[in-house]
Amino acid sequence: MFKNEEMEINLGPQHPSTHGVLRVKLRLDGETITHCRPMIGYLHRGVEKICENQSFFQGQVWTDRMDYCSAVANNLGWAEANEKLFGITVPRRAQYIRTMLNEFNRLASHLIWLATHALDIGAMTVFLYAFREREDILDMNEAFCGSRLTTTAFRIGGLREDLPPGFEKMVQKFLAKFPSCLEEYENLLSENRIWKKRTVGVARLGAEDAIAMGVTGPVLRAAGVPYDIRKAFPYAAYAEMDFEIPTRTEADTYARYLVRMDEMRQSARIIQQCMDGMPEGPVMAKLPKILKPEVNEVYHATEAPKGEIGYYLVGEKGSSNPYRFHVRAPGFINLQSLPKMAEGGLIADIVAAIGTLDIVLGEIDR
Amino acid sequence: MPTPTLTQSIVITLIQCVLVVAFVFVVVPLTVFAERKVLGYLQQRLGSTRVASGHIGITGWMNRGMWKMGRVPVLSYWRGIPGLVADVLKLILKEDILPAKADKFVFFIAPALSMVAAVVVFAAVSFVPGTFFTLPSWFPYVGGLPVSGGIADVNVGLLWILGVASVGVYGIVLAGWASNSKYPLLGGLRSAAQMVSYEVPLALSLLAPVVLSGSLNFGEMSSRMAIGLPAWALAPQILGFLIYLTCGFAETNRLPFDMPEAENELVAGFHTEYSGMKFGFFYLAEYINMTVVAALASGFFLGGPWLLPFGLQGLVNPYLPAFLSWFGEPHAIFFVVKIIFILFTYIWVRGTIPRYRYDQVMSVAWKYLIPMTLFNLLLAAVVRCFAV
Repeated sequence: MFKNEEMEINLGPQHPSTHGVLRVKLRLDGETITHCRPMIGYLHRGVEKICENQSFFQGQVWTDRMDYCSAVANNLGWAEANEKLFGITVPRRAQYIRTMLNEFNRLASHLIWLATHALDIGAMTVFLYAFREREDILDMNEAFCGSRLTTTAFRIGGLREDLPPGFEKMVQKFLAKFPSCLEEYENLLSENRIWKKRTVGVARLGAEDAIAMGVTGPVLRAAGVPYDIRKAFPYAAYAEMDFEIPTRTEADTYARYLVRMDEMRQSARIIQQCMDGMPEGPVMAKLPKILKPEVNEVYHATEAPKGEIGYYLVGEKGSSNPYRFHVRAPGFINLQSLPKMAEGGLIADIVAAIGTLDIVLGEIDR
Repeated sequence: MPTPTLTQSIVITLIQCVLVVAFVFVVVPLTVFAERKVLGYLQQRLGSTRVASGHIGITGWMNRGMWKMGRVPVLSYWRGIPGLVADVLKLILKEDILPAKADKFVFFIAPALSMVAAVVVFAAVSFVPGTFFTLPSWFPYVGGLPVSGGIADVNVGLLWILGVASVGVYGIVLAGWASNSKYPLLGGLRSAAQMVSYEVPLALSLLAPVVLSGSLNFGEMSSRMAIGLPAWALAPQILGFLIYLTCGFAETNRLPFDMPEAENELVAGFHTEYSGMKFGFFYLAEYINMTVVAALASGFFLGGPWLLPFGLQGLVNPYLPAFLSWFGEPHAIFFVVKIIFILFTYIWVRGTIPRYRYDQVMSVAWKYLIPMTLFNLLLAAVVRCFAV
């Protein structure tokens, strides 16, 4: 008499909590998800191909537009990959400034994550609190490079300009208030019963699965694997910094939340160290007018806020453009763990899972 | 005092209806405005300030002056108010879209059902016991007659309220079903399960006041709860109030129980396919329902038109000095203030806590709230048996 039918439903591409134009094809048994397939490509612009038709200097502009929430981290990877390709040594002061801005960017990106993740779960106020602090970071971006979101912060070989006057004061002001802001978010969330009910044990992804699928970043660290490229293969000035890699073993949404919150504390620590130990000197290496590589290939990975962002560049003799350019985007690789996290859960859980993966579709579709 | 004839009493009832509807339609837009503003301040922003008379005239001049001084102008706090008119106009003027595959009749009737069920509840709400005011003698036809504090303060008031309020769920379920679309269907299913579940503890939590006061008449209940109970009765009242408020949040689909329209999961839930004034009806119904829940909570638990909540008024009144006797009497203003306070609580909670998951909402109702209400009922019965 009763037919048991599964309902197929599209979550997205226009949906409030898919963080852009992600489309997830769901098959539902009542409210339970039996089948989940993310469909991507709605924001594909062909960034990699475009960069192959532009000079090495011009490519960085496109890296801004991949993961627009962490443009500085993308810029850093691009600049360092190129420096590796051409064998350029960057001055130490530039390294420090890069490290500092990169950490500020990590804060900004994690704040966006916190804001949207909390909003998805229904905690509206955290959204605006987090955006308040992010605003200060964007102001600092603006002071440094004139642009707030798509920064194009660095140049191959160093920085275009030194820090502007008064920058140190902005940083100190921010660092002075930031710990209390973090506490404010945690007061609203960490011990909140509803928040815990919505996140503890939700969207689990164990260490084995995570490694098998190439998942990196906070999602991996929340599964108990202390893999952080800043420590494993130090770049910029990270070798000289003293910081810890926060890890958890629960591998659920709540653990990822705690890991990211701790990471923000560590980032603030690194920024403080950069300010204290800031060396004097030039910020730009001597470069030829046009960069022309030998036949050469390079892969350079850095720890973006979302995970390992890797740039694969092949140079061609006699050309000022890269012959081949490929990005290992962390969001793209992390997204493939979504079915594993969401299947068997409820609709509300997939919203938490998408939020906890911290995806940006600009980067996934490129 | 003259006894009104039948036609006169009908006219008086019509006057009361107009007053109550006017009250509802004044409170609802102001709640919407307060929601924007209070939520704004909770989140360290200004809320709506845009649609404004603040650009012109004397207020505009003062505002500009304060902006120039680098201050946020005080007058701009009120600048969102004309936006409410703009909102309503937008809803009325917007194209009314009927999905091609929708069930036309049910699609049409659902918002009306929600709306009517929400408004009609107010018939049994008594704002103040006895006479609210006496019409002036120059008033045509019904001059000099008293107007009581409720439209129909009948002796099955509570039954009426609960019965009509539960009709409102049909509006939501039918809207979800008639849209013939997947997200509304999910929203409708959720609301059917949720609202039916929460009807149970809601009704049970209201049984405690019934037991304590021994009446189903709204006015009588609220006055006995306010001044007729011993200090003993405090415990079942406070517990009952908290349970009732929780269920009320769920019944009106507000955070943390806004399952039927969880915007981050179901886009807009049951009213996804609605636009124009049909959507406006759902929107209005939600806020009117909030007002209803607030009115019931203040009537039964917070002392209604008396100043102090939880029956404290009855304990304080004998010791009240003569010059404060105004505070010992019932006044409609106290009732309204309590309604406003509970509406504020709604917004406050929305700004503070996240949303439950659907299965958790159900377990809260069945595993925690219903046993608690039963315990509370027992407590009330014990108090009734020994103390009243």
